[in-house]
Amino acid sequence: MAGGYKYFEAIEKHAGLLGILTAVMVSIGGLAEITPLFMRAHEVKAAPGVKPYDALRLAGKDIYVREGCYLCHTQMIRALRAETERYGPYSTAEESVYDRPHQWGSKRTGPDLARVGGKYSDEWQLVHLKDPRAVMPDSNMPAYPWLTRALVDPDEVTRKMRVLRMLGDPYTDEDIAGAASAVGGRTEMEALIAYLQGLGIANEPKPAAPAQGAAP
Amino acid sequence: MNAFWSAWIMFLVVLNLGITLFLFVWGQSVRIPTQADGTSGHVWAHGVLREGVRRLPLWWVLLSAAMFAIGIGYLVLYPGFGAYKGLIGWSAHGQLAQDTAANRAKLDPVLQGYDGRSIEQLAAMPDATRMGHRLFVDNCAACHGIEGRGNHAVGAPDLTDADWLWGGTPEAILTSILDGRRGTMPPFEGSLAKADVERLANYVQSLSGMPQSPSRAAEGKALFTTCSACHGPEGKGNPALGAPNLTQPHRLYGGDLATLEQTIRKGRSGTMPAWRDRLGERDVRLIASWIYAQSHGDGAATH
Repeated sequence: MAGGYKYFEAIEKHAGLLGILTAVMVSIGGLAEITPLFMRAHEVKAAPGVKPYDALRLAGKDIYVREGCYLCHTQMIRALRAETERYGPYSTAEESVYDRPHQWGSKRTGPDLARVGGKYSDEWQLVHLKDPRAVMPDSNMPAYPWLTRALVDPDEVTRKMRVLRMLGDPYTDEDIAGAASAVGGRTEMEALIAYLQGLGIANEPKPAAPAQGAAP
Repeated sequence: MNAFWSAWIMFLVVLNLGITLFLFVWGQSVRIPTQADGTSGHVWAHGVLREGVRRLPLWWVLLSAAMFAIGIGYLVLYPGFGAYKGLIGWSAHGQLAQDTAANRAKLDPVLQGYDGRSIEQLAAMPDATRMGHRLFVDNCAACHGIEGRGNHAVGAPDLTDADWLWGGTPEAILTSILDGRRGTMPPFEGSLAKADVERLANYVQSLSGMPQSPSRAAEGKALFTTCSACHGPEGKGNPALGAPNLTQPHRLYGGDLATLEQTIRKGRSGTMPAWRDRLGERDVRLIASWIYAQSHGDGAATH
C-alpha cells in the first residue's frame, strides 16, 4: 500500500480527474437523500380534511405567492414546544399536498401563518392588509391597498384548475365549470383573505399522545 | 420507506464513509518520493515556490478521526441509517412530546391553583393576571391593542372601561372569548335620505353630549325610532344583541360626524373570533381575569 503515491499524483496533476472524482463523492449524498424522494419512497397523501383549494382560495394562494408573502411568513410549524404553544399543532407534509409550490418558507420576519385561518376576523384581515399600522402600530409589514382594486381573472383561475387537475389534484368537472362564476367580480383582496382564512382549518393533526415515542 | 430504499441509503452511506475512511487511513501511509533538497519536486512560479514534504499535522489527523467517530456514533444512536431507528429511539415528535410533558409538569401545579376560582378572585391575583396579559398580548392585542383599549379601525371595543357591548359580567366576558361574537348593524342608506342620515348622526352625537348641531339633532330625534329596536328608546344599547350604548362617549368606529354617517349609511359588521378550540378554557379564564381586572379597577398594577 505504501506505493500508492502514483494514484495521488495522477489526481493531483489532472484537474479534470480531480473534478470528476469530487463530483462522484459529492453526488453520493444527493443519491441517498434526493432519489428516494423523487421515486416517492415516502408516499405523501392528503390528510383527512385536506381538500384542493376552491377557486377563490386558489386565486388567493397565487396572490400570496405573487406578493412574496413567503419572504417574511412561514407556513411551517416545527415540532418544537415554543412553536406548538404559539401557533398550534406542528405542520405535516400531508397538509401541503395541494400547495404548488409549498409555502413552508424558512424566513420569519412576521409570524408563521400555517394555522392563522379564523384567528382574526375577515374585517381585521382587510384593515390589516390595507394598512398594517392601523391595527399593529409597531408592524413593519408593507401595505397592500391595491388588492382591493384589482379583480381576479376568472379565465386564469379556470385554466389553473385544469392544469392542476392534469398534475393530479382531484378537481371535478363541476369545480372547474363553476370556477369562473365563483371568482367573477371578486377582488384580489377577497381572494387573499379567503385563502388566509382557510389556512389550517380542519387540517390540524391530532396532538401526539403525551408519551408516544418518548423513549428512552 | 420500503426495504429497497432503506438498503439503498445504507449502501450509499457505507460506500461514502468507506471510501473516505480508506483514504484517511491509506493516505497517511503513502510514502511521498523526496528529492535531494527535501522537497516533492513540485514547483510553481518557475521554481520560486517548491513543495516541502511534511507529515500531516497531528491536530488535523485527530480532528478528522473525531469526525468519523462522531458521524458513525450519530448513525448508531439516532435515526439516519436507512430505516434503522437508532439505539436511543429519538424522534422529533417524541422529543416534542417529552418537552411538552415536562412543561406541563411545571405549569399544571400553578394552573391547578387557579382552577375552581372565580374570575373575580383570579383578577385579584397578580400572577394570574400577568399570565392572562401575556396571552392577551399574543392573541387579542391584534384587535384590542396591547393594553386592551380597542381600535376604531376594526371596531374593536375598549375593554378597560365600564361600557360593554355584550355584558361585562365574568360569565359574559368568558362567553365572548370562548364562543366569539358577531354584531351586525344593517345599512340604512336605502331607507334614509342623505339629510336624514346627517340629522340622525347629529342626534346620536347629542346622546353622549358630543359636539353637534342642536337644531339638526332635534330633527333627528324622530328618526331614532328605527334605531331604538336594537339600541333602545334612550340609546342605551342592548347587550343581548351586542348593540352599543350610544349614551357614552366611546364609539366603536369613532365618534366624529363623518364616521357616524358612514356607519348609518353602510352599516357595520364586527366579528370576535371564537377561542375555545385555539386556546382552551384554562387560558381563556386567565385572559378574562386580566380583562376583568382592567375594567373593574383593582388590577392597575399588574402590567
